[in-house]
Amino acid sequence: MVLVGVAVGGALALVAVLIPWLPSADAKEAGLVDRVYWVVTIICIAIFALVAGVSVYSVWKFRAPPDDEDDGSPIHGHTGLEVVWTAVPAALVTAISVYSGVVLTQIERTNPDRVVQVTAQQFAWSFKYNENGTEITSGTLALPVNQPVELKLNARDVIHSFWVPEWRMKKDAVPGIETNIIVTPSKLGEFTVVCTELCGLGHATMRARALVMTQDGFEEWLREQQRLAEEAGSAQGKTLFTQQCGSCHALADAGTTAETGPNLDNVLPGKDADFIRESIVNPDAEIAPGFQAGIMPPDFGQTLTSDQLDSLVEYLQQVAGRS
Amino acid sequence: VAVEIHEREYIAHGSPAPPSGLKRWTSGGWLRVLWVAPLAFLLSIVLVLGLRLALGYDTAGWDGLNPFGDTFFHFADADLQPLIVAWTVIVPLAFLAALGGFDYWAYWVSGRPTRPEDHSGHGARTWRDYFRVNTDHKVIGVQYLVTTIFFFVGAGLMAMFMRAELAKPGMQFVDNNTFNGLFSVHASLMIFLFVIPAFAGLGNYVIPLMIGAPDMAFPRLNALSYWLLPIAGFTMLSSFLIPDGGAFAAGWTNYTPLAVQQPEGNLMFQMGVQWAGASSIMTALNFLVTIITMRAPGMSFWRLPLLVWANFATSTLVVVATPFIAGSQFFILFDRVLHTNFFNAAGGGDVVSYQHIFWFYSHPAVYIMMLPGFGIASEVISVFARKPIFGYRLMALSLMAILILGFSVWAHHMFVSGMSPWLRIPMMVTTMLIAVPTGIKVFSWLATLWEGRIRFATPMLFASGFVSMFVIGGLSGIYLGAIPIDIHASDTYFVVAHIHYVLFGGSLFTIFAGIYYWFPKMTGRMYNETLGKLHFWLTFIGFNVTFFPMHWLGLQGMPRRVSDYAAEFGNLNFVITIASFFLGASTVVFVYNMAVSWIRGEPAPGNPWRALTLEWQVSSPPPIFNFDEIPQVVGSPYEYGVRGARHAVMNGDRIEATEPERAKVH
Repeated sequence: MVLVGVAVGGALALVAVLIPWLPSADAKEAGLVDRVYWVVTIICIAIFALVAGVSVYSVWKFRAPPDDEDDGSPIHGHTGLEVVWTAVPAALVTAISVYSGVVLTQIERTNPDRVVQVTAQQFAWSFKYNENGTEITSGTLALPVNQPVELKLNARDVIHSFWVPEWRMKKDAVPGIETNIIVTPSKLGEFTVVCTELCGLGHATMRARALVMTQDGFEEWLREQQRLAEEAGSAQGKTLFTQQCGSCHALADAGTTAETGPNLDNVLPGKDADFIRESIVNPDAEIAPGFQAGIMPPDFGQTLTSDQLDSLVEYLQQVAGRS
Repeated sequence: VAVEIHEREYIAHGSPAPPSGLKRWTSGGWLRVLWVAPLAFLLSIVLVLGLRLALGYDTAGWDGLNPFGDTFFHFADADLQPLIVAWTVIVPLAFLAALGGFDYWAYWVSGRPTRPEDHSGHGARTWRDYFRVNTDHKVIGVQYLVTTIFFFVGAGLMAMFMRAELAKPGMQFVDNNTFNGLFSVHASLMIFLFVIPAFAGLGNYVIPLMIGAPDMAFPRLNALSYWLLPIAGFTMLSSFLIPDGGAFAAGWTNYTPLAVQQPEGNLMFQMGVQWAGASSIMTALNFLVTIITMRAPGMSFWRLPLLVWANFATSTLVVVATPFIAGSQFFILFDRVLHTNFFNAAGGGDVVSYQHIFWFYSHPAVYIMMLPGFGIASEVISVFARKPIFGYRLMALSLMAILILGFSVWAHHMFVSGMSPWLRIPMMVTTMLIAVPTGIKVFSWLATLWEGRIRFATPMLFASGFVSMFVIGGLSGIYLGAIPIDIHASDTYFVVAHIHYVLFGGSLFTIFAGIYYWFPKMTGRMYNETLGKLHFWLTFIGFNVTFFPMHWLGLQGMPRRVSDYAAEFGNLNFVITIASFFLGASTVVFVYNMAVSWIRGEPAPGNPWRALTLEWQVSSPPPIFNFDEIPQVVGSPYEYGVRGARHAVMNGDRIEATEPERAKVH
């Protein structure tokens, strides 16, 4: 029985170690979370090995031969055993609770260097920065490495949930209240913001890019965004596109790469102003092949002012004609 | 004594002559349903439209309902919500009345003569009796089980559709709206129309027999609670027929504001849940009263089989918790139809409070779906290991501990929901503590196997499969209970894996164990053992290959409830899809075995398993009032291997009982 238990436990330990169960830990908080994961894993392997050991041994040892009509031993209980298997699990789960509580306070205590307002809506994310007195809005989350940041989450329509698997951080964005996440990205690179709360037809494709940069790279990114914002007078359409449309649509001219909606570099060329306007205010009127109705918000006709709509159409028409 | 009189009068009176001529159409039954139900359907339209006209409300967009218009089937512009509410309330009530569900009460209320001695609606003589309102708990139990297996197969087919769509990344067979509808209806049917009522059905059949009672305490209420079930299932299924949007597609959790934003099909979930919930509550009350007041002489609480204990705990959970989900769905209904602001943030409502109310039912619901399974496992393991259940009293008390703790853990579903942060740690501690009574049960089952003489007939295979699979589900529950891990894993495929290990590996395996175990008792015939074992192994392997890899998918970053996913998850999803088809095929073996064995299986003896509990001491199937004479219980139901021990004395074979319980004769 002990042999079976040890064999099962050893096999499980190999499965736990050899298969990469968790994605790489790319935030300071992720390391702490992973340590809880490993503690729980060790305890679970021990418990499962015990259960498997006893059951496999019993099945092998106490199986009745065919046509055997005998009964087993009339054992009704054993107070000592029952006390042990009440007390030991109670102690184990209490230990896990205490450790989890400690880690929870650790990952939530960090004082943030920066606040980013995150707004979720069907089916896109937008990120608002307030740096050096200038407001910047982007469809991409850019963060400097190794600096704790507070993400303040809001939702415009239904509940969404912000998750970056490599950061191990998740929180719902809820209409009517503001929730928050504090996270310290610790690795450079590109990550995916995943919506994990069912939010409607476009839930599966509600994604955003998260870029973790060096301090210099981040400052340059900010300057670039500021420059774009200052150009608003001459290129208001382009700025509007980046802010409002870029989180779902790819367009090389505006530098956006999202894949939720049709890639405009493919579907836009040759279209006229009327078609573009209709596609913005009444998106389900004509659907690009491979995409579905009901995913693009139908209310841009109301949320954009008519000036904004005009300049957006003008900009897109320019791009459509140019290519 | 009362029973004996009943039985004698039943024999004396016989069934009354079946109605003939026009009376066939006006007395309770399917013919009356045929004309009353469509009438109620039209009446609902007249009522709603009439009220709107009379009160001067907008009827624009309702032209579609004008049968003389050229757009008869064009509903798209009309706000169908008031009409759907009227339909889902009035048509089911009319259906019940037409079927004869209220006849006795209506006669009594209106002062017409009732016939309490008329047992024409009690017991089944032909297969047709299973399609009538019947007050025999054994008939009702079978009705429950067959109905729930029908919905199980339907909901399982929906899962097959989903897995087909998920076989590779990108969109193949269905669009997002259909996909969201499929997983929402799949979960709702599996929970409300399969697992919960399947346990109610098994309990209905077995519990009166186990405690030595002639029937449930309220047979007519029992019949009514069964007939609410097809109504609930039909309401949920027919949501696919709602024009403009189709089935409810906000998940079985139906989180608002998405639920309010959804097309009209969402109402079918809110109303379906009301019917299913009413059915659960009625059955649970019936179980409680039956178990408390109708135990045979000598059947003290400490002599109850553990399945009866389990149903006692479950019924208490149902009665206390179910009104909360009914309330949560009514609030959503009001927000949608009456434009109230219970959960509408823009109108001052609180979005998160929906989740608190919802989970205050839906977490205990997990135990509603698991405790009866614990009971079945205890019966089966003890009988097939030929040993007394290990630590009987602690087994019973741990059920009660789960019942109490079960009410204090609901917010562990909401660790990332943005609820008050202080609530998280207490809810984590109670969640973890629930592992203690659950662990006691698992260890006690293992200890029951120890030094037994184990026979692996199909029920025992499923019961031992349950113990091992449920342990995996319980352990992944510890991961999800630890807040830091839950923050990463919640709303991902890790959760999908966890709930299927608990509800499939837990509930479904024990339902199968129970069905095979009591099949000879219910049908009077043996099932095919070879096919039963084949079914177990197909299910066991298919189940593990389908659901175990989902743990990895979730931890790696695949969220749940998605019709499309990142390309890197493609290979594993393909494997899962193949395994799930394998799993689906195993159900064919089960249904075939049940159907064919029921028709021409080998005749079953009264007690094929040599079990001690009372249901096995009578013929298979049991006599119409279960016992010729109420048995006298004299000892524990699990005394296997104890020389000379008896559980009960049957049929006049009286011994002088000295127990004080003897005073409890009813």
